[in-house]
Amino acid sequence: MYSGRAEKTIQACRFCWMCRHVCPIGLKTGKESHNPRGKALLLSLDEKGVDLLNDLARDIFECCLCNACAENCETGYEPAVFIREARQKVYINNMAPESVEAVIEHALKTGSIYKETEKKKSFFSEISKGLPETADVLIYLGESAATHCPEMAFSLVNLLKKAGIDFMVNKQEVPSGAELYDLLGGVEEVQRIARICTEQINTSKAKDIVVLDPTNARMFKQEYPTWGCEVKGNVSTATSFVDKLIKDQKLVVRKTQKNVTFHDPCRLARDLKETLPARSILSTMGITIKEMFQHGSLTKCCGGEVLASHSNYLATLTAEGRLDDVRRIGVDTVVCACPSCVNNLTHDKSEIKVIDLFSLLDSNC
Amino acid sequence: MFNDFNLNMICSELEDVVGENNVSRRKSDLITHSTDYFWLPRLWVDRGKVPPLADIVVYPASAEEVSKILVIANYYKIPVYPWGGGSGSQGGALPLMGGILLDTKRMNKVLDFDEKSMIVTVETGMIFQQLEWFANERGYSLMHYPSSITCATVGGFLAHNGIGVLSTKYGKIDDQCINVEMVIPSGAILQSSPVPKHSSGPDLKHIFLGSEGTLGVMTKATLRLFKIPEVRKFRAFLFPDLSSGISAGRDMLQEFKPSIIRLYDEAETVSRNKSVMGVDKLGVFMNIALEGLAEVVAIEERRMFEICSKYGAEDLGAEYGEKWWNSRVTFFYPDHCLDFPLMFGTMDTVATYSNIEDIYWEMKKAVEKFDGVRFIAHFSHWYEWGCMIYDRFIMDTPPDDPEEALRLHNKIWNSGVRAALKHGGVVNDHHGVGMKLGRLMKEQYKDSMIVFEGLKKTLDPNGIMNPYKLGI
Repeated sequence: MYSGRAEKTIQACRFCWMCRHVCPIGLKTGKESHNPRGKALLLSLDEKGVDLLNDLARDIFECCLCNACAENCETGYEPAVFIREARQKVYINNMAPESVEAVIEHALKTGSIYKETEKKKSFFSEISKGLPETADVLIYLGESAATHCPEMAFSLVNLLKKAGIDFMVNKQEVPSGAELYDLLGGVEEVQRIARICTEQINTSKAKDIVVLDPTNARMFKQEYPTWGCEVKGNVSTATSFVDKLIKDQKLVVRKTQKNVTFHDPCRLARDLKETLPARSILSTMGITIKEMFQHGSLTKCCGGEVLASHSNYLATLTAEGRLDDVRRIGVDTVVCACPSCVNNLTHDKSEIKVIDLFSLLDSNC
Repeated sequence: MFNDFNLNMICSELEDVVGENNVSRRKSDLITHSTDYFWLPRLWVDRGKVPPLADIVVYPASAEEVSKILVIANYYKIPVYPWGGGSGSQGGALPLMGGILLDTKRMNKVLDFDEKSMIVTVETGMIFQQLEWFANERGYSLMHYPSSITCATVGGFLAHNGIGVLSTKYGKIDDQCINVEMVIPSGAILQSSPVPKHSSGPDLKHIFLGSEGTLGVMTKATLRLFKIPEVRKFRAFLFPDLSSGISAGRDMLQEFKPSIIRLYDEAETVSRNKSVMGVDKLGVFMNIALEGLAEVVAIEERRMFEICSKYGAEDLGAEYGEKWWNSRVTFFYPDHCLDFPLMFGTMDTVATYSNIEDIYWEMKKAVEKFDGVRFIAHFSHWYEWGCMIYDRFIMDTPPDDPEEALRLHNKIWNSGVRAALKHGGVVNDHHGVGMKLGRLMKEQYKDSMIVFEGLKKTLDPNGIMNPYKLGI
């Protein structure tokens, strides 16, 4: 039922506790089923005939797939491989918890977990106003920014305008399928969404594809090619693109005084191995970052919007764990480079100020 | 006794203490708390069988909540099993008789960082690596680096009185622990003395530490902090035999304390060390680390060379030691560690220099008398008076039948540990006793067991705390 790689990983992880210290959910809940060992143990027993699929259905979705465990694994196993496949199995067997099933059903219909359809429409309509319909640079903004962090997208657009870049945004940008991929793995439906998204991007004939949300950049660069979807043009993250604009002196940056830390997005720091451009941008503004111990590739996930879509309680708890890290180094502001992170870390009751990198830069350009 | 109705009643009382999200009767939570690093429950799982399960898992966030939970459990006379990381190798946290499994990991806060006294006070559910990082952030270390540092809790190390790879210089966890708080079944929250050295009666810390959850639940501890050493220098040597290696270690300990001395027998030198570190020589391999102020280390280094030379050791340079240090946890990741289909166990014991070599040979004999069983060992925690032997048995093709395998496993353990006891060793050095070795405690302590039994009767009169562990 599982792929050979998933089977091998289940066997390896079922009795291995070595990565529990980096599991952002397990650290907050203490639950054994919230780390890869617990999940693999349950799946291995289920595979051996102890009927557990229904019991583990909820647990298997209670993971933000941040890959901290894989980054830590000295042998190189990736628990996300079997977690995605187990999610698929649970869903196919109609055992997904109601809250998860509702999110998946919606994503299968619309390509995205985000339900704010009108908000998205008006966002893309608004942000693309006055922009050319074709250009050398295409900005892919993503669903998360469109629904939960539009100011980050508008700031990026402003920065590119200030830099004199000829760029476009698709007025009816289609989803990348990133969230559904986390919920169901690389199933045919996800690959279909990937093909549609690839086609839309390629139709633009843009030479540079600048991706605001690292989750989507990861999809374009790492997952799409495995499904035969080739995004033509040079795909780069918004952080690295903007950093280059500064280095090429296309943006004039003012100095500012701020005591901040930087929260590395998991997809950016771990999957795409990119940690320097965001720091370089902050440094250009004269900001000295006070680093959390878990930074760079060791970054701790803030929960993620896929988890939040079906378990707001766990996502909030996980974000609280990250905010604890911010508090413990004595700063009151955390800068994020991912719209999902901005949304997850922002809580009405928190005294920590959460700001996105591009809004901060835009206000100092 | 505890039918569904009763368990629901108890659950509702527990939920009143810790909230609904922190009490579970879900099968997935019960099963993931049924298996630790002990080979036997893993065998059960490997053969598709479910090990004994608790009835309820509860996740308290403070000593006060633990106190209320224990009062409830004591009233219903339902067993309670404290569980930290569940990474113990002795079955010390396994819920053998149903009841409440008390997971401590939500108690994960640093409560006080006293730089002046070089101590840190922490809740015991914190994963030790997280505490180490907290200290590292401030320029210090706890210098407690067991291979389980990433997966075990502070309380887990205290519960079985664990040890780290730098113990020869920085001590065991009981040397590093200043004081500890423990909640007992009456609900009382007990404190050991604020400092560990005094003449105010026996130090209670030594009663709580190593009690493996059989007397209560440790909830808070104060531990020592150390400066990051100015230098840490490695050196590897190849000795002609075990005797000369042990003698060199003993001589060094009379003059100075290396942070690491690891002496491997010939079997381990040619097996594990070859595969991970590339040591491709016949003999007895020793890896030494010296650390601290550079000037002091320079003197120690000079004496180390003189002592090792006196016993005929070949200098292998610094590279192997550095490689070992950098890959010291690699040994415990999948595909590098011992795993199924092998049967294996670590029978660590500790003894005086007069006895330790005899123990090595006697344990080797006692284990290798079983068909198809191999024996490897190293000596890695050293004192002025003796050292620890970390000896392992490995069986490549254990019986398929889990019941037959269980019996053979226990026979090998009995044989090995009894050989150690007969020649001046103890039941265990630093992994603890748990359910694995409880039956052998009376063979070591004989009439002295009355002390443990008396403590148990007084502190836990209903016998609810972690039953069938530690031999009490």
